[in-house]
Amino acid sequence: MTRAQRVAVISTIFASLYFLAIFEILQVPFIEGKVVQEILPALPWWLLVSFGSYSLWSLGWGLFTFRDCPEAYEELLNEISQAKNDLRNRGVNVD
Amino acid sequence: MNPFASSAALDMQGQFSTQDTHMYSVILPTYNERKNLSIIVWLLAKMFSDNQLSWEIIIVDDASPDGTQEIAKQLAATYGEDKIILKPRAGKLGLGTAYIHGLNFVRGDFVIIMDADFSHHPKFIPQFIQQQKAHNFDIVTGTRYRSSATPSLATAKPGGVHGWDLKRKLVSRGANFLAATVLNPGVSDLTGSFRLYKRSVLQHIISVTQSKGYVFQMEMMVRAKALGYTVGEVPITFVDRLYGESKLGADEIVSYAKGVWGLFVGV
Repeated sequence: MTRAQRVAVISTIFASLYFLAIFEILQVPFIEGKVVQEILPALPWWLLVSFGSYSLWSLGWGLFTFRDCPEAYEELLNEISQAKNDLRNRGVNVD
Repeated sequence: MNPFASSAALDMQGQFSTQDTHMYSVILPTYNERKNLSIIVWLLAKMFSDNQLSWEIIIVDDASPDGTQEIAKQLAATYGEDKIILKPRAGKLGLGTAYIHGLNFVRGDFVIIMDADFSHHPKFIPQFIQQQKAHNFDIVTGTRYRSSATPSLATAKPGGVHGWDLKRKLVSRGANFLAATVLNPGVSDLTGSFRLYKRSVLQHIISVTQSKGYVFQMEMMVRAKALGYTVGEVPITFVDRLYGESKLGADEIVSYAKGVWGLFVGV
């Protein structure tokens, strides 16, 4: 089963549960009918907004913690000149 | 006399010049890397000998017009024909097939995949090996986005990138977030191509991978997870484009998104 198929199956299950609950064919356990009717229509939008804010936070945090490594660059330049000298002595054409 | 040093005992145990009895093969696909090849081989050879590991480098050159193959032959004369193995190809045939071609000549039991343009530094390979041994991972991948190894490794230093401006970093983080959300690959750096594989694992994954270009690297990781292979991560520093600037065009972004979608419906 590909990932797309798995995602499609799971979202179909949750979507049908959601619609069954909204049209009051199924009862949501432990919560009154009135409360359910107020919350359920807003649920998809809440999910969307939550996902949006999570993405924004994730991108921002990722950018904030994205390290620069100038010391790696310096070290590499050093090693390149070391390597060139050594290889020249060993007879490899480095230029 | 030490019984373990008697000739009978040595014959039975085998005579290894190193404590680590594995052999590590590096597959280095090259195209027009005349200036870089000798230096990267020098760095690799130095790292392997400092860590007392047996090694070989398989250079898969796609008929470079700038004389990369002559340099490879000079290096083979310097380091040994059994250590530097040149396996050229007739034309520019792509990265995936370069790995497949190189795999035919690998004598080691571990294969390391890396770029030959200094963006991947060989000094991280001992950390990859250490991580692999600690948990018997099938694959160890380098990650540019984390500052600690997954699971933790005491000698690991934080990862990072050099040579990227803010916009490039944002694109990179966005792309990674997209891939992580859509594909849930279990690694923090999906497009990275600095990895250590067990040889049989690499052979298996490559035989089922179909994409081309850098989506190929992503597909290998996603397939590895789907097939149940264990993956560890080690932070690496990535020095992009030692000479010149790093650019990322709009059509590359579009083809990346298409690649992610292709993996979503295909794996």
